[in-house]
Amino acid sequence: MSFGMKTQETHLSSEANRPLVQLRGVTKDYYRNRIRVPVLADTNVDIGEGEFLAIMGPSGSGKSTLLNLVAGIDRPTTGTIVVADQELGSLSESRLTRWRSEHLGFIFQLYNLMPVLTAYENVELPLLLTRLRRRQRRQHVETALKIVGLADRMDHYPRQLSGGQEQRVAIARALVNDPVLLIADEPTGNLDATAAVEILDLLEQLNEQFGRTIIMVTHDPRSARRAHRLLHLDKGTFDERPIDALEAAS
Amino acid sequence: MKFLPYIFKNVFRNKLRTGFTVLSIAMSLFLVTLLYGFLASQENLAAQSAGYNRLVVTHRQGLTSLLPVAHLDKLRTIEGVKAATQMSWFGGKYKDDRLPFTQFAVDAQAMMNVFDELTLPADQLSQWRKDTGGCVVGTRIAHHRGWRLGDKIVLKGAFYDVDLELTVDGFYDGSETADLDMLWFHWAYLDESLKAKRSPIAGLIGMVMLKTASADDLPEVARQIEARFTSSDAPARAMTEQAFQQMFSEMVGNVQAFIRNTALAVVFALVCVAANAMAMSLRERTREIAVLKAIGFQRGTVLRLVLGESLAIALLGGFLGALGAKLGVLALVRFADLSRFPLPGINVFDIPWITALYALGLAAAIGLASGLVPAWRAAGVSVVAGLRKVV
Amino acid sequence: MIPLRYNLRSLRTRWVTSLMTILGTALVVWATVLAFGLGAGLDHTLEVSGGPLDLIAMRKGASAEIASIIDRKVARQIEETLPGIATDENGRKLCSPELVVIVAATRSSDGGRTNLIIRGVTSAARALRPGLRVVEGREAKPGLREAITSRSVSKRFRGAGLGEELEVMGSKLVIVGVFDADDSAAESEVWTDLAVIAEISRRKGVVSSVQLRATGAQALAEIKARLTGDEQFALKAISEKEYYAEQAIAGTAIKTVGWIIFVFLLIGAVFAMANTMFGAVVTRAREIGTLRALGFSRASVVFGFLLESLTLALAGGLIGCLGTLPVNGLSTGTANWVTFSEITFSFRFGPVVLLQGVLLAVLVGVAGGIFPAVRATRMKIVDALREI
Repeated sequence: MSFGMKTQETHLSSEANRPLVQLRGVTKDYYRNRIRVPVLADTNVDIGEGEFLAIMGPSGSGKSTLLNLVAGIDRPTTGTIVVADQELGSLSESRLTRWRSEHLGFIFQLYNLMPVLTAYENVELPLLLTRLRRRQRRQHVETALKIVGLADRMDHYPRQLSGGQEQRVAIARALVNDPVLLIADEPTGNLDATAAVEILDLLEQLNEQFGRTIIMVTHDPRSARRAHRLLHLDKGTFDERPIDALEAAS
Repeated sequence: MKFLPYIFKNVFRNKLRTGFTVLSIAMSLFLVTLLYGFLASQENLAAQSAGYNRLVVTHRQGLTSLLPVAHLDKLRTIEGVKAATQMSWFGGKYKDDRLPFTQFAVDAQAMMNVFDELTLPADQLSQWRKDTGGCVVGTRIAHHRGWRLGDKIVLKGAFYDVDLELTVDGFYDGSETADLDMLWFHWAYLDESLKAKRSPIAGLIGMVMLKTASADDLPEVARQIEARFTSSDAPARAMTEQAFQQMFSEMVGNVQAFIRNTALAVVFALVCVAANAMAMSLRERTREIAVLKAIGFQRGTVLRLVLGESLAIALLGGFLGALGAKLGVLALVRFADLSRFPLPGINVFDIPWITALYALGLAAAIGLASGLVPAWRAAGVSVVAGLRKVV
Repeated sequence: MIPLRYNLRSLRTRWVTSLMTILGTALVVWATVLAFGLGAGLDHTLEVSGGPLDLIAMRKGASAEIASIIDRKVARQIEETLPGIATDENGRKLCSPELVVIVAATRSSDGGRTNLIIRGVTSAARALRPGLRVVEGREAKPGLREAITSRSVSKRFRGAGLGEELEVMGSKLVIVGVFDADDSAAESEVWTDLAVIAEISRRKGVVSSVQLRATGAQALAEIKARLTGDEQFALKAISEKEYYAEQAIAGTAIKTVGWIIFVFLLIGAVFAMANTMFGAVVTRAREIGTLRALGFSRASVVFGFLLESLTLALAGGLIGCLGTLPVNGLSTGTANWVTFSEITFSFRFGPVVLLQGVLLAVLVGVAGGIFPAVRATRMKIVDALREI
């Protein structure tokens, strides 16, 4: 596992390197009482390795949908999605499940920790899907918890942690299997201002210091400003916007 | 009452959970209705017998001791006795039956007079009276065993040391709850067969069944009978037909206690089940209840709404269970041959409607008991906390 | 695989629900095991009652001893002339003539009446049944109006207690001793002297049956053949095992009721368990979605929930089975229609019956848990994650 430092790479332009994530002609329709509701229309996006991408848009615009498609927990109606040279559409359900466990880290708005497991046990969860032995798992978990600064709270249950701490445990869980991609869906949506700042600092650190590729969906401009690239999604179509155009809404 | 539609909407909001709870209650109450229904059925049978004003006269020492046939004539002379017949239980083995079905050696005409609520076509009766080796069978057992007029029935003696070959001369019929699983043949035929073998029990009868003119005559006639034979070699005992039937069901054991205990356990388990389902349902609705209270619903109203819900669910289950049991037993007795089943009264098993009603009442009690704690909790929901609750 | 502690601890979180479910299952298992234990007890009594080399001779065609009459002379001929009868250590032949009558008796518990078997015996009867020993009081003296009876009968019937007088056909027998008969048929009987019963019932010169033990299997077959075939005897002669097997129909009612209880309560309990598990699945939809997003397979989620329902059910099953232990060995009785008298037996919760209870619990756990468990994984991950 390489938590080594990486040099900053160019974020905006993805032509130089082969993109980590590639969407081509992706559409997604939902069906509500037999009425077709198009959520994403003919989307083409490239995301390079080491990028920190924010996706914004009004509610119902399909930002979470995009995230779910890249993460492989939903399938597009048409189009192809390639992540780390793997065409997701060609994978069967079980293969996709395995692929997810090996390549992705999830960060949810509601943290989604198992309330009956300690912080340690929660972070350990993804490793139980690997062949690692207990001692190796311990190493990984402790490292991940150290990175997020919660090594001293290993044996606490989620109900004993603050919102910010819970989210940090969730981030540790997302990191523990050394994923190529971190997927964050409104990571600060449930946090107060101070905790939100802590989490965003952490995400920035993970991206700049450890070179993690992060795709983050948010509706909060303060969060989006931490990213290096912004995609605006409205009525199913994407729109690249410059970060500085974001209103300083403090 | 105006809340009824709201209550029902809530009952069916989660059809799966409600369905499962209802079915769980239904299954268990079916069982309870079945068990208590059996007891009630026995009681009803006994009460029904009371209407026929009949006495059973046996040897004081019980059914396995026999009475001299001379007793019969003496009994017929007692005032108040309208008709009397001997009834010797033959207990013969028919084909491969593990237990004998009911066979009695009787006096044909007297039998019809004593059991005047049963019917036998006049031509069949006269045929039977002419045919010494003839017999009549109940319509129900005839139906199950496929017996027709003229069929020969061979009974191997198990209790008596003679084998009998009988001819079916007729079919007796009666009401829905009458015992139509018996076979009657001539006592004279049995006695002659015994005499031919020089059996020491020739000339003896098992018991006498007699009918009095009215119900008022019963106690006096019984007293006279016992007094008449008290110093004879074969002292007699007289009891009402109900008492006689009760003797058989009592032999089965302290069934009442068994049924009571089983039913208790079942009911207790059900309260747990229903309360559990109720609690789960309400846990998911904390916000809704908070909204209701915010709007202005009083604690008492919320309490009643929840109780109403648990009551409705339990009653649904109770209805299904009780009705299912009643109909199930009706079908069972109609279509199955219960003459071979070793449980007295099973062949006329009929669950009275009142028992089904009691079961429904039990369901209501379960509904109330199981809804109490969840209703209390719901009534006490804090509006602020409930509205804020996200997780 | 999803860690066990996740599932087990989740059970503990909803401890009230878990407890209710366990209790509900426990009661259901308890009621069923009780019912099956009754049937097993009856079977056991009928099984142990016949020794392998023991034979009983009755009037030809008689279904039971009360319907059988054998002349005493014939009985004496059997003992004196038939070869192949075993002897005890004193050289006495193990051949016992016995006279059986039944009398009405009243149960102490509910006042219900039934019939008891009074067996008139000679000293030979005791040699044939070595398992029968007097544990309280003393033996009945021959020629006197005294009797001994089983512990069970002495407790459960009026007038049959130690020191009490039992009314038998107009006379009274004093119960002077209480015996233990190893759960055999004798547990249902009152024993007195053959001569006394012959006098009381005014049946001198006859017996109901002759019971004997053969020296070996070959001898048994020969004796049987002679007793049935020889004109001198022309009796019904069957091994005691067969005799008691014929009475097994007595258990039919109890067993049928047992199975009915089993089926209905099983279905009821399955629905109840399904409810509980559905509740769990709904409450934890987001957790399930998360686990699957993280990469745990559908199968592992299903397996985890099945484990939960099985744990609840087995816990209930254990408690239910334990709850029957206080009743183990409690004696009761029911009608034996073949002998038209009471057959005494005890609740018996042997390994088979307990296994039936555990099986019930397992069935409840699996059948009740499988549907919700599978449903749990039916939901799309994205939808599950959106649940509150």
